[in-house]
Amino acid sequence: MMRNVRKLYAFLKRDFLSEVTYRVAFLFQVLGMFFSVGAFYFMTKMIDPRTEGLDGIPPFPWLLVGLAFQYYFSTALYSFSRKIRNEQLLGTLEAMLVSPTPTSIVIFSSAAWDFTYGAIRVLVYLLFATLVFGVRLHANSLDVLALGIGLTLLSSAGLGLLSASFILYFKRGDPINFFLSGLTTFFGNVFFPVEQLPQALRPVSEYLPITYSLRIVRGALLQGRPSAELHEPLARLALLTALLVPAGLFFSRIAIRRAKREGTLVQY
Amino acid sequence: MGRAIEVSGLAKSFAKKKSVGEMLRHPLRRPERVHALRGVSLEVREGEIFGLLGPNGAGKTTLLKILSCLILPDRGQARVAGESIAHEDRVKPKIGLVNSDERSFYWRLSGRENLDFFACLYDVPARATARRIETLLRRLDLLEDAERRFSDYSSGMKQRLAIARALLHDPPLLLMDEPTRSLDPAAARALRRLVKDELNRRDGKTILLATHNLREAEVLCDRIAILVRGKVRQVGTVAEVRRWGIRQRRFRLEVSAWPPGLAGPFEVIAVEPADGGQRVTLALDGRARLDDALRVILGSGVALQSCESVEPDLEEAFARILEAEDEEEPRA
Repeated sequence: MMRNVRKLYAFLKRDFLSEVTYRVAFLFQVLGMFFSVGAFYFMTKMIDPRTEGLDGIPPFPWLLVGLAFQYYFSTALYSFSRKIRNEQLLGTLEAMLVSPTPTSIVIFSSAAWDFTYGAIRVLVYLLFATLVFGVRLHANSLDVLALGIGLTLLSSAGLGLLSASFILYFKRGDPINFFLSGLTTFFGNVFFPVEQLPQALRPVSEYLPITYSLRIVRGALLQGRPSAELHEPLARLALLTALLVPAGLFFSRIAIRRAKREGTLVQY
Repeated sequence: MGRAIEVSGLAKSFAKKKSVGEMLRHPLRRPERVHALRGVSLEVREGEIFGLLGPNGAGKTTLLKILSCLILPDRGQARVAGESIAHEDRVKPKIGLVNSDERSFYWRLSGRENLDFFACLYDVPARATARRIETLLRRLDLLEDAERRFSDYSSGMKQRLAIARALLHDPPLLLMDEPTRSLDPAAARALRRLVKDELNRRDGKTILLATHNLREAEVLCDRIAILVRGKVRQVGTVAEVRRWGIRQRRFRLEVSAWPPGLAGPFEVIAVEPADGGQRVTLALDGRARLDDALRVILGSGVALQSCESVEPDLEEAFARILEAEDEEEPRA
């Protein structure tokens, strides 16, 4: 266990060291985030706060949390497959896979930096929102919030592994990413409440982890709901996570085995 | 002497990529297979440098990748350092792979940072990592450049860093895939010296070296295997392989003057001018004796200054083996 934690740290350190060599790019990213938060602040002034589905949350923080977490989900979705591709291109995948570190740990840890960086971006979004745009955040259900974020991380990792498995298996563009990104954006309560959709389409959102992640985060941070009121979305998110993580691990194992058989594991 | 590698009946084929036209014409047809290895069997002894020679596409890299557990074989078995390749968790700690791919490091990290990252993947204990890296950097003459970015390294330095990486966990067996391919002659010579003198003789590492550089194989290898189109054609010491297919032995004589038309139990291959005399190359077939030939030559009044056996050339042997392969199994 400790050995794997050390490996995870080694991946984080490696990517951090690479990332800090692009200091200017990092600065521009932060600036870009500031401008997009600002743009959404003024855009949401056009939205009626009484819109059905906002549950009394002002439109700006409602949208901001949605955006931050949607970014996090899409990072998770693309991260595994993008990292595998990059390592194949760099020629480093072979060097890693010939080491005694199991392939699953290599793939999982490769995305650690993206996950961490995604979390930092979410925090920066929230920081801008509170410090610059005066959004008030509540802190009375931090236990459920922490658990919810942990499950969000795991469920998105499960989806990311499914997507990476597809790429490893078929060596083609990844329809899973495309499909899930579209579904999340459209049905996940990210840009607009699902209540705005026709009745027949609304059930789709119940099968997306982001729906429950956002319910937990908005409930805890923006509405200040007590933990007990957030147990239901937390349980549903836990259920989806319990399905997605084993599925991701199972399919990634199959995909790796096939890639080894086909001799394409380290080929771009 | 124990066996470091045992390979038995190893076969591997890959699906050939279909062209767009083919995919449109026959969308359901299975792609053609390219046979990279066809029943390869060989043994590498502990402590030796074993050369895997063959033209491009012979299957050398495929064999190394199977032994590194990066590719699964279709058929056959292989044991590396006593462990079946089916148990990659037991095989990988015992091997270090050095390939000729210059890209296999993180270009924006320094040499030391790269090694630090890979040391963790190779399960080098945290406490020992810094010292191990320091030792390897010093041995491979990279200590002064350890903090430079990998992108600033020369080809020779990149290759030495790749060797340092393969040695991080001190494996008993090194698999090297054309390690001198992108090096200039001086860097290649230095690397060969490192492999032979340091890694093999001093450290006792067993080395399986894939190369198509025959000169390199002659200098480095204790034994070699010639791999052609996925099959092992010859295995033996360099001297044994050199003699393969030769029905004649050759001798080089330094004489004052060679009488034209002199006949005997030999064939005159060449007569060339040499320092103040002539150099004659003779070929004797299997049954002919050198002393009979010399008796005829001396009897003709030739003043013989020296006589030496001419070792057959590995390059010629290699060509003979390829020729034999073509006769046996013509190319499609």
